Amino acid sequence: MIEIKDLHKSYKMGSNSLHVLKGLNFNIKEGELVAIMGSSGSGKSTLLNILGMLDELDEGSYTLDGVPIKNLNETKAAQYRNKFLGFIFQSFNLINYKTAVENVALPLYYQGVNRKERQEKALKYLEQVGLKEWAGHLPSELSGGQKQRVAIARALAAEPKVLMADEPTGALDSQTSYEVMDLIQKINDDGNTILVVTHEPDIADMCKRIVHLKDGVIVEDKKVDQVRASQYV
Amino acid sequence: MFDRDIWQEIFHSIRSNKLRTFLTGFSVAWGIFILVLLLASVNGMQNGFYDQFNDNASNAVYIHSRTTSKAYAGFEKGRRIQFTNDDVDYIKGSFKGDFEFITPVFERSTSARYKEETGSYRVMAINNEHIFIQKVNISQGRYINKSDVVGGAKVAVIGKKVATDLYKKEDPLGKFIEINGLPFMIVGVFTDDKDEGAESMIYAPITTYQRIYSNTSDIDQIMLTYNPDFNLDEAMDFSNKITVLLKRRHKISPDDQAGLRIWNTAEAFNDIGQFTGILQIMSVVIGLLILIAGIVGIGNIMVFIIKERTKEIGIRKALGAKPKQIIMLVLLESVFITALSGLIGLLFATGLLSLVGPLMDAPAFKDPSVDMSTIIIATIVLVVAGMLAGLIPAIKAARVKPIVALSDK
Ligand SMILES: Nc1ncnc2c1ncn2[C@@H]1O[C@H](COP(=O)(O)OP(=O)(O)O)[C@@H](O)[C@H]1O
Ligand SMILES: [Mg+2]
Repeated sequence: MIEIKDLHKSYKMGSNSLHVLKGLNFNIKEGELVAIMGSSGSGKSTLLNILGMLDELDEGSYTLDGVPIKNLNETKAAQYRNKFLGFIFQSFNLINYKTAVENVALPLYYQGVNRKERQEKALKYLEQVGLKEWAGHLPSELSGGQKQRVAIARALAAEPKVLMADEPTGALDSQTSYEVMDLIQKINDDGNTILVVTHEPDIADMCKRIVHLKDGVIVEDKKVDQVRASQYV
Repeated sequence: MFDRDIWQEIFHSIRSNKLRTFLTGFSVAWGIFILVLLLASVNGMQNGFYDQFNDNASNAVYIHSRTTSKAYAGFEKGRRIQFTNDDVDYIKGSFKGDFEFITPVFERSTSARYKEETGSYRVMAINNEHIFIQKVNISQGRYINKSDVVGGAKVAVIGKKVATDLYKKEDPLGKFIEINGLPFMIVGVFTDDKDEGAESMIYAPITTYQRIYSNTSDIDQIMLTYNPDFNLDEAMDFSNKITVLLKRRHKISPDDQAGLRIWNTAEAFNDIGQFTGILQIMSVVIGLLILIAGIVGIGNIMVFIIKERTKEIGIRKALGAKPKQIIMLVLLESVFITALSGLIGLLFATGLLSLVGPLMDAPAFKDPSVDMSTIIIATIVLVVAGMLAGLIPAIKAARVKPIVALSDK
């Protein structure tokens, strides 16, 4: 599903250049649940942004579902993001003046899905994350965990090939974190490919594979026995 | 553009940012409000001017004889020019088809009496065509007619002031008024609501009056109206020709400005037109400047909005919004706010005008209003303005990088 070859990325800051990713190689197959681990500043978000087509790589190649991702113009990148990817952010990034169901329906709007179908689908995914009763509520009326579940429903709504979560539990207490991870595991059980960026080992252990980043290189890439989050909820 | 979803997005954004929308719209509404009021005021001024002149025919020409200021043809300067009935006949003979109505005017101040009541009034002796040149408003009886003039009848038409002065509560019609010791029968009463001074005048047949004044054929003034089909150039041409011919007849130097005075209403109308035209241009410029201030204001606020909404735009882009869709969103919002608030300004201005307009009837101000074309142009200007105001912010918005917008730092 995802193929990365010799990926390099630097940030230029004035005359200095910060080499953040220094030649990464890895593949992710369909249905995997991968944790990208590493301490703060190790380049996890940079990697995820490149994979999410929110940023461009300097060197190397990136292929997503057989499509080489390079030299995309803005419109094309928008199309690919919409078609291939679902994002889950640490700070939820819901649109604050839209209700839960409207937030979930937004990627469908950009897919050109008609109003009625959008509403139906959005409600279906809200139900899947257990928030159907909260459909008409604004983000400000939801708890942190509920917000993240709305964000997950939104990411799912577009029916993407890959879900990308950057520190999805970073703003949540541990109990809520486990609830969110439980949801992510269940979505993965349905066959969805998911990447989770985290610096918390217990969250990483709830994935099926851990890619460990340190100073811009992969120091470890291992399969793990998944710890099910359901036992904590 | 007519996608229902985009509009829903826009209404959503407006509804959830009421203060911002209000502030943005206010400047534009204000600009249009002022623009419309300015234009309407100029319009009112114009109407007022024309209305004042409309007391008389708009195609009237007045010719007065004066005193020469140049020696010419063996005459010394300082000679008093005297028109006579012959001059009127001469014009009638030379300009057939160029004029509509013409009257000689003989004017004197006299004392008038009815029983014990006396007063001093101006008597204007004229022929029956005069009424069409100065539009005398008869409230009772009739005006001097042709047989009065031909027969030299001792009849008079008096102003309302004369009637109330001398006749108090009596009906003056058919009564006699003693003018210069001679009895005239009153055949009509006139009013003039534009000029109350005019109501203390008395009109009498020119023939009668010239006979009383020792059988003279002298006249003080010639009034006429030119062919109403004439345009400004033709009208001016006509009065210039009369000037030349009358100067020749009375041996006045062609370049003596003082010998006779000719006053053509067409020229005055043209001057008013030019004057109000300048005012109109000025008010459009002022209005546009105010509008530009409003537009710059909107642009500024939109830029600010974009800053405030950077995160939201980043989210939309991450969810697959194309740059075009973002531009559309911002542009339409700007156009919508501008157009709507502009229309509100327009509505308030026209509302105010229709309330206050009828109350305003000062001498030089009447019926201030704007015409449909002004409103249509203003609306187009608003839509274009909204687009311009939204353009830079929209492009800015489309350039928002999702990673920058979404970074939690
Ligand atoms: N847009 C940027 N410009 C310059 N430096 C950046 C930018 N984004 C991240 N960095 C730097 O790159 C390094 C890796 O950042 P990041 O990928 O966010 O790390 P992580 O997500 O693992 O904490 C950090 O040192 C960070 O300061
Ligand atoms: Mg990070």
